[in-house]
Amino acid sequence: MKTLKFGLLMISLLVIALLASACGNGAGNTQSGAAKTIKIGFFAPETGPEAADGTSAYNSAKLAVEQINAGGGINGAKLELVNYDDQLDTKQAVSIAQKLTTRDGVAAVVSGSYSGPTRAAAPIFQQAKIPMISAYAVHPAIPRTGNYIFQQSFSGVVEGAAAAEVAKNELHAKNVAILAIDNDFGHTLVQGFKQRAAQTGLKVQEPNWFHFGDTEFTPVLTKIKDNGADVLFMPAYAAEGSQIIRRIHDMGLKIQPLGTEGLDSTTQFLEVAGKNANGLVIVTNLNRDSKEQVVKDFIKAYKEKYGHEPDMVGASTYDAFYVLAEAMRKSGVTPDKIRDGIANTKNFQAVTGKIEGYDKIGQVIKPVQVQQVKDGAFRYFGEITDPAIITPPVN
Amino acid sequence: MLLQQIVNGITIGSLYSLVALGLTMVYGIMRVLDIANAGAYTLGAYLGVWAYTRTHSIIIALLAGVGGAAITGYLFQRAVYTPIKKVADPIVPLVASIGLFIVMEDLFRLIAGPYTITFPVHLPLNRLTLGSVIITGTQAVILLVSAFLFLLLWILLNKTKIGLAWQATAQDVETAMAMGINTRSVVAFAFILGYAFAALAGILVAIHYNAVFPTMGDIPSYKMLAIVVLGGLGNPLGAVVASMVVGLAEALVAGYIGSFLPTDAIAFLALIILLLVRPQGLFASGGDAR
Repeated sequence: MKTLKFGLLMISLLVIALLASACGNGAGNTQSGAAKTIKIGFFAPETGPEAADGTSAYNSAKLAVEQINAGGGINGAKLELVNYDDQLDTKQAVSIAQKLTTRDGVAAVVSGSYSGPTRAAAPIFQQAKIPMISAYAVHPAIPRTGNYIFQQSFSGVVEGAAAAEVAKNELHAKNVAILAIDNDFGHTLVQGFKQRAAQTGLKVQEPNWFHFGDTEFTPVLTKIKDNGADVLFMPAYAAEGSQIIRRIHDMGLKIQPLGTEGLDSTTQFLEVAGKNANGLVIVTNLNRDSKEQVVKDFIKAYKEKYGHEPDMVGASTYDAFYVLAEAMRKSGVTPDKIRDGIANTKNFQAVTGKIEGYDKIGQVIKPVQVQQVKDGAFRYFGEITDPAIITPPVN
Repeated sequence: MLLQQIVNGITIGSLYSLVALGLTMVYGIMRVLDIANAGAYTLGAYLGVWAYTRTHSIIIALLAGVGGAAITGYLFQRAVYTPIKKVADPIVPLVASIGLFIVMEDLFRLIAGPYTITFPVHLPLNRLTLGSVIITGTQAVILLVSAFLFLLLWILLNKTKIGLAWQATAQDVETAMAMGINTRSVVAFAFILGYAFAALAGILVAIHYNAVFPTMGDIPSYKMLAIVVLGGLGNPLGAVVASMVVGLAEALVAGYIGSFLPTDAIAFLALIILLLVRPQGLFASGGDAR
């Protein structure tokens, strides 16, 4: 019996540890502020399979709120972050959206999550008439939920079209193979890529799909090798993307990889892929070589506070808060006025490029950045500003 | 391309079998499906990378990872599984193991952070080209290391006293006890070996992918169940064969058919088909097939 008691004690201790950890990251992490505060709701996958992106997003949200408050807040009123962890789970996102709209009394919301949870939560904010900015989710259905929902990152269709443009004009592709993740992100990017390629007469092979969490790409790369292609368009996240790049190098495959914002992370992608990533070209929204002061300041402040390089997910989240702050300063702090303020944003210099504005659906219009990996770092390679490509489709 | 895909499939299968072996060895003795074994896989990788970044010695990294996981296995067995097994039906240890696994994953995230840590060991082999077939450096290392570990395990289970005692206990606990086998130490041996194997697999996989992250045990935690059942629960040889079957199936599906269903589903599809034609698994459970 003695061992049994010891065993039960162990289990209870572990359960307590688990509960404590869950609470620490869970609901209601409000930061108490001064008497006059404006609550901003926020959710991101802070634990679970994409905890790295969720943590980047949450860290950047905290940084933005801190800086906005340090700079005097919104006409004297402080921002208060109401943070939730959606664990990359659409069901969680729905219940978080319900809490934010019914209990927490937030004036606006930033989604720091992926397309799945963001799509699930958006209708609830729309119905409650609370504006939401999706920081980096790319699915075109998100802004189409209604007039209170905005997309801060360009639509996947735009990003895919920009990639097709890079393939054709910069990489001089003759025959493009595609290896894409089989989810909202991958399908939207492939759709945009194929549409633009068809317009410009670029030859594209049938896409090869892989699944979230896949690790072995040698079989599918063997197939791609046999089909002969000079450019590989690969909408993938950092975990899978870094393995694809490593295997391309292992196999000695002669193909130019072309990635997307999914790979735009120093800690999650570049360090894992190592020197194999050199030469890779990606389309993204963050230009690390930008001369703009906001970009330099953000990169510096993030590195100082968190001790590692920021990524595109963090930069996009940070921007969403600054767009909100700008809207509140110009238009007012009630949900309706914030909505109008976001809709009227014009030529706003953000970290992830100059936001020309939002179209009538709520999709952002801004240039697409093209970066190339050189000596283990993302460097400027080009920028796509052609309105025919960066204007998101409205139908 | 077929030969190339067979090489690819066997490499994937080798990685799977290293993970599956730990699970099947524990099941063979305790009749407990120990999901926390996938936690030992991650623990091994974390301890290994922690030791490696401090010493730059792969030997010390292996010792740290394997030793730490083996101790954890022993503690879990003494403190959790054996006591629970005495008083509760078999489903309770399974639930406890799931709990342990979740706790371990959260502890990894809390202690080491959510970001991927790299495991930058340079593998000494270059690409081999045999006709139209390419064996990459990492593939060669995985194949060689796995072959060595299979051999080591075979010797351990068939040529040593404790290994033979494991086989006897796996077949029939009461008879083994009646024959004077110390089943308590055999149970401890199974956990130590099972967790050590999981840690070895974790370190090898972490080097192969140059990545250690808190949720790296997620997919092994359920996929290995399919493989272990496919091979006959508690049968190490069966687990290796089943791993190869699944690895080959995944490579051939990816190479010839494309992604018509999630990669991880292939293992379960293979399991369903096999259970329909051969309900006892590829090989019988326990030690019967030897």
